Amino acid sequence: MKGKLEPSERQKLVEEGKNLKEGLTTLEEDLINLRDELQLEAQCIPNMTHPDVPIGGEDSSKLRNVVGSPLSFDFPVKDHLQIGKELDLFDFDAAAEVSGSKFYYLKNEAVMLEIALVNWTLTEVMKKSFTPLTTPEIVRSSVVEKCGFQPRGENTQVYSIEDSDQCLIGTAEIPVGGIHMDSIVSESSLPLKYVAFSHCFRTEAGAAGTATRGLYRVHQFSKVEMFILCKQEESDMYHDELIKIEEDLFSSLGLHYKTLDMATGDLGAPAYRKFDVEAWMPGLGRYGEISSASNCTDYQSRRLGIRYRPSESPTTSKKGKTNQATPKFVHTLNATACAVPRMLVCLLENFQQEDGSVIIPKPLRPFMGGIEAIYPKSR
Amino acid sequence: MALQCRLSGATIQSLKMATIPISPSSSRFIFRTTPQTLNLALFSRHTPPKAPPFSVLIRALSAQAVAAAPAAEISDNKVVKPQWKAAIDFKWIRDNKEAVANNIKNRNSNAKLELVLELYDKMLNIQKEVERLRGERNNVANKMKGKLEPSERQKLVEEGKNLKEGLTTLEEDLINLRDELQLEAQCIPNMTHPDVPIGGEDSSKLRNVVGSPLSFDFPVKDHLQIGKELDLFDFDAAAEVSGSKFYYLKNEAVMLEIALVNWTLTEVMKKSFTPLTTPEIVRSSVVEKCGFQPRGENTQVYSIEDSDQCLIGTAEIPVGGIHMDSIVSESSLPLKYVAFSHCFRTEAGAAGTATRGLYRVHQFSKVEMFILCKQEESDMYHDELIKIEEDLFSSLGLHYKTLDMATGDLGAPAYRKFDVEAWMPGLGRYGEISSASNCTDYQSRRLGIRYRPSESPTTSKKGKTNQATPKFVHTLNATACAVPRMLVCLLENFQQEDGSVIIPKPLRPFMGGIEAIYPKSR
Repeated sequence: MKGKLEPSERQKLVEEGKNLKEGLTTLEEDLINLRDELQLEAQCIPNMTHPDVPIGGEDSSKLRNVVGSPLSFDFPVKDHLQIGKELDLFDFDAAAEVSGSKFYYLKNEAVMLEIALVNWTLTEVMKKSFTPLTTPEIVRSSVVEKCGFQPRGENTQVYSIEDSDQCLIGTAEIPVGGIHMDSIVSESSLPLKYVAFSHCFRTEAGAAGTATRGLYRVHQFSKVEMFILCKQEESDMYHDELIKIEEDLFSSLGLHYKTLDMATGDLGAPAYRKFDVEAWMPGLGRYGEISSASNCTDYQSRRLGIRYRPSESPTTSKKGKTNQATPKFVHTLNATACAVPRMLVCLLENFQQEDGSVIIPKPLRPFMGGIEAIYPKSR
Repeated sequence: MALQCRLSGATIQSLKMATIPISPSSSRFIFRTTPQTLNLALFSRHTPPKAPPFSVLIRALSAQAVAAAPAAEISDNKVVKPQWKAAIDFKWIRDNKEAVANNIKNRNSNAKLELVLELYDKMLNIQKEVERLRGERNNVANKMKGKLEPSERQKLVEEGKNLKEGLTTLEEDLINLRDELQLEAQCIPNMTHPDVPIGGEDSSKLRNVVGSPLSFDFPVKDHLQIGKELDLFDFDAAAEVSGSKFYYLKNEAVMLEIALVNWTLTEVMKKSFTPLTTPEIVRSSVVEKCGFQPRGENTQVYSIEDSDQCLIGTAEIPVGGIHMDSIVSESSLPLKYVAFSHCFRTEAGAAGTATRGLYRVHQFSKVEMFILCKQEESDMYHDELIKIEEDLFSSLGLHYKTLDMATGDLGAPAYRKFDVEAWMPGLGRYGEISSASNCTDYQSRRLGIRYRPSESPTTSKKGKTNQATPKFVHTLNATACAVPRMLVCLLENFQQEDGSVIIPKPLRPFMGGIEAIYPKSR
């Protein structure tokens, strides 16, 4: 229509243009709606799975490692609740009044034991070149979602803050995952290894049954979490490194535990592969999960928008320009270094003595002023 | 980047704690507590007209907790029903109304004393009337038991009916009156210690000064710049993940926080305080009973969606709640707790320059002391608490001044409040690092905490023991360590020309012996 035209020709073109425009507007709207629906549905697709992962439900999980064996006791074994009561280490009753069920106060030596566990764990993991962090415990709900959790689902584990788009974190994996959101890191900076200490909050909605007594399932707890961002081809190796760090920690404390390669039915959507450690808890009379190490490959990084620019040797073209490689998505991994309440259950139940005292594992003693045991006190 | 390199080649030693002076074979940790308030700048809907709303810029941690009325439901006839009731001594208020009125004026409170007295009188009168009518109704009922003429019986039945209706109306009025009286009376702030200066912020009295501002022969940096250069915090990433006034601590700052908490707990435990960690989610009624207003305008309190729960702004709240609705034995007093918790504050309404970096944040770690004691001992424990605080800050080598806060600056629960302000060279002024309040029986009347005085039992002829009437405990609270403010102090005061920061000697054993934080080449 830019050239010189007869009026009737021009009129025809104008008509044609109008029709095209209308058709285009409709289609473009359809495209937007379709893209949105596609995105929502596609985001429900879980991560792919490592070929070695057993297929099936809980019972199909494969034993990967066993360390130690259940301690035998020649006296009646108490559970951690009873031990804690007799040694005045926690108060669940006052907390039930002040806050509700599954809340607690730690008292006396239990406070020092929590601090010692956190301090020792951070120190040990820092030796492996992890950067220590403390994190915000209130985060935007979008960050929670990008990590693969559902803040507003039915039976959600996530506490939300009134009149805001913020939530409480259930694990430091979330605020740490968010550190490099929407950015491109240099390949030379990888791997980025963080060990983060935070409080964690979980609604435990829908959790029922006997596995909820005492410290085993609570709404608030302290946790030290490891988080790695790495190159795609290295995530399997770092998954092995993480589970090794965990096993070394638990072995140092003298715990008996087994490491499981979790079956497909037990993997969360983000996890490509997940190793759980279950420790023997004599008071409960069974194994209880004390940690979890997941390789999330690029599931979280595609949502959080974290990429790296591979640093290939720059090839200069004739014009002297350097070719930059296309950014790739990092792989992310996370692993529990220390979940304090579960560790307290393990320590109290495994190292109880007949006289009612509890022996403190040697590695923790320097972090507690050298105390060797928690003794019953006469009132 | 390996953390070992960052620590000048020193491997990270096991972080030894200073020996706690309790050997395993000796008596258990007996820790008794004293309180020290870390007040929250809370403003109710009834912001006092005379008080400048944000005079707390400098002392961000002070609570101007205007008396909290309990959350109430509006019923059909517009009388508000309180969800819980403080044990107010109305008779005492009436008998001391001049002193109460003066106190209200001095504190710029908008509690309505005249209304309270009026409602109280009305209530007493209606109560008398109700009792009189009940008496008459009983008479009628008694008369109806005997033998009567039908006409007489009929008259009595009528009379009984009238009395019953009148009584029902009056009893309803009485309930509504009691509720209104309760709500209004709960707004009346605590009385004030006679030595407290009267007036606003500027009237606060200097109680103690320790040290003097360090002089630097190089340009002084503020904590934000120091933190940036030493890679100790990240506010930018936190702004994306969570919002402004959130932060990550990194590297040595993490170990410094842990050392501060650990050392503080250890020192305070030596004074017989029982260490605790506490829930950080609590029922909103507990928050109110401690004197805060979770649902006021510009509230400092975060609420949890779809629940009656809130996040704590200070461990004072969950610790205060431990002995809620109970009577403790006199022999168990004083109960002394030192509690470590994370604290969450909305800082709504806080504006201005006093909000940079770590000075005002939404989430932080704090070690709080709390004491429940006999009434006649609270002044003594207030002195003990401020002494503990001053010893802690002196040990770290800080320069600070202790102030006896004036009436205009006291929160509703506080009978008397001492604030400590430390010199922050990077900010170029003093900043509040702690607060110690004596709340006498204000909180205990709301939380329902009493003790039974153990007088020598006198046995009557029948061999019964006379038990004394329970009295309300006095509660006190005091900040032993508010970590971000301490980080500001340590970084700004102990910065060196080469960009490093010296770690105070008492903290070193709790950080693997590290003597300083050094700049690292990248």
